[in-house]
Amino acid sequence: MAMTYDDTATNEATLSTKGWMVFARNNATILLIYFLIFVLIITGSFFSDRFLTASNLLNIMRQSIVLGLLAIGQTAVLLTGGMDISQEQVSRLVGLTIATFFATSESNPALILPLLLLGIAMGTILGLFNGWLITRTHAVPFIITFGVSFLLRGVNLAISTTPIRGIPDVYLKIYDAKIGIVPVNVIVMALVWLLAWYFTTRTPLGRSIYAVGGSERIAKLSAIRVNRSIVWSYVLSSAFAALAGLFLLARTGVGDPSAAEGMTFQSIVAAAVGGISLYGGRGSIFGTLGGVLLLTLLANFFNLMQVNIFYQQLLLGVVVLVAVASYKSKQLGAL
Amino acid sequence: MKSTAVSPKKFTLFSGFRPTPRLVRGVDLAGQWAAPIMIVIVMIAAAIYAPAFFNPTNLKTVGIQIAVLGVVTVGQTLVLLNRSIDMSVSAVLALGAVIVVQTEAGNSIGVSLVQALAIAALIGLANGFLVAKRHVPPFVATFGMLVFVGGARLAYTKGQASGTVPALLRSISIESVGPIPAALIVWLIVNIIVIFVLRYTRFGRWIYAVGGNPGAARYAGINVDWVLISAHIACSVLAILGGLLLSGYIGYVDLRLGSDYNMNSIAAAIVGGTTFTGGRGNMFGTAAGVALLIMLLNLVVVLGLSIHWQYAMQGIVLVLATALQGFRQFLLSR
Repeated sequence: MAMTYDDTATNEATLSTKGWMVFARNNATILLIYFLIFVLIITGSFFSDRFLTASNLLNIMRQSIVLGLLAIGQTAVLLTGGMDISQEQVSRLVGLTIATFFATSESNPALILPLLLLGIAMGTILGLFNGWLITRTHAVPFIITFGVSFLLRGVNLAISTTPIRGIPDVYLKIYDAKIGIVPVNVIVMALVWLLAWYFTTRTPLGRSIYAVGGSERIAKLSAIRVNRSIVWSYVLSSAFAALAGLFLLARTGVGDPSAAEGMTFQSIVAAAVGGISLYGGRGSIFGTLGGVLLLTLLANFFNLMQVNIFYQQLLLGVVVLVAVASYKSKQLGAL
Repeated sequence: MKSTAVSPKKFTLFSGFRPTPRLVRGVDLAGQWAAPIMIVIVMIAAAIYAPAFFNPTNLKTVGIQIAVLGVVTVGQTLVLLNRSIDMSVSAVLALGAVIVVQTEAGNSIGVSLVQALAIAALIGLANGFLVAKRHVPPFVATFGMLVFVGGARLAYTKGQASGTVPALLRSISIESVGPIPAALIVWLIVNIIVIFVLRYTRFGRWIYAVGGNPGAARYAGINVDWVLISAHIACSVLAILGGLLLSGYIGYVDLRLGSDYNMNSIAAAIVGGTTFTGGRGNMFGTAAGVALLIMLLNLVVVLGLSIHWQYAMQGIVLVLATALQGFRQFLLSR
């Protein structure tokens, strides 16, 4: 018996109870990712003079907005243990619909506010549709959203296969407006990230999303409305995808039928790299932020280094595979 | 903070609902027989509204398309039976076509075929390793592989795939033996082999055992990880075979070759009665699912609708089939 006590004593001695050690242990993934970002910035500044300038860094932040919006929504879904594949088609559908309305109304600037609201409403309804299908049929979420994404792709191609012109100039201000040198949308995005953090950690719905992802059964036994939480997470995901579509519309200035190509997968990767468990219930929104910044920085870095576009995709694949291979599974995490 | 305590009975639509055995059996049968029944219905509808569907040329096209998708879907079904999924089939399929076409200039066709099959086996091994040993969710692991293989193909071809398809492949895909396209015969041979393996060998029973209950299979002494990895290897190799048939049929290779095959192979397998939860499904159902999906896609063309509705068709078929399977699973779990 004495030996056992000694063992526990040494174990406790090795696992320090000092505050910062506990913090480091609990947030290893997030610390690692911000360390990687730091390393990448330092390396970048060695390779190119233009990398570590205020304008380039602000530019990177502005480029990260689309991925950021998608990743916040995706995080909510991943935390419940689901996955939303339809994001990219939702944002495309919203962008194309709004562009069509602008084109048919001769770029009337008075329509901007109603159309923005319409876009978000469309996202919400599509999210309700996804969530309803998933909770009512008890089917695998990613296949349902995969099917919905194909459905929406058909609709998108039916709307237009060529870029739609006629976005009013005022609308483009969403992307261009600046205070000093800081773009307004970067400030707004920072607020959105703070709100997302507040939502996931401080609101009943956010906590119930974590609980559902941790264990649906236990959540149900704790009087959490499981289905309602799941539906809400899909609504959030699609609504954020709609916002991303609206933002992309302001960025490109045309309703682009190939907008947001491949962004769904990037949003999943950003969240997963940032430590959101793909089995649900674990991870922090700041991890997602780190993942988003890392992916955007990488793209910017490749461009500055003038890496051939064909090799860029190969490198992205390598990054994804390495991240996935070093993935900490639920079984391993539970040990 | 307000209390959210609610009576537990209100949680789900079906709470307190106990399905009768007859209902479970009915839904189960519906899941298995949906595809064959739908084929008959679609055939009757085609006979009435689109007689051009039964044109011999069109039927041959349908046959070749069934063969290509069928070969890929056999692999996908093997993976799905193991509770896994392979999203990388489309990239592997296109990669195989590119390898065979590009190396055809220097190498003999035998060498390039061996190369293609070896690379496919390696990709399958990597997929299986990630899923079985690293416990990565299969969808994410294989989707990562999709991005990686797609990037490798771009880097290898520098964005422009060129070359001609070897005459042998071309003739396999285009020629007919009697009234039956040669590609269909390839598909039949693959099916016969796989059905034999699944029914009459230990390995086949292991696949069902692992899919049905991995924990029980492990306690029964089955090497679960190895079965899963083998299924992934088989899936990638079959995907390459499908790519060879497809490139032989189309006659050239481009970068968008076969990009729908992920979606189509999964949809066809699910329509054919294979479940995501593993252990249920067979190759006859898969064959029916493939035939149904290809007929529907072909009807979109024959009816003269916009080609974009093919995507919506695929989506609707997949959502409906998944919903039916999910509901069946839900009933069985009550």
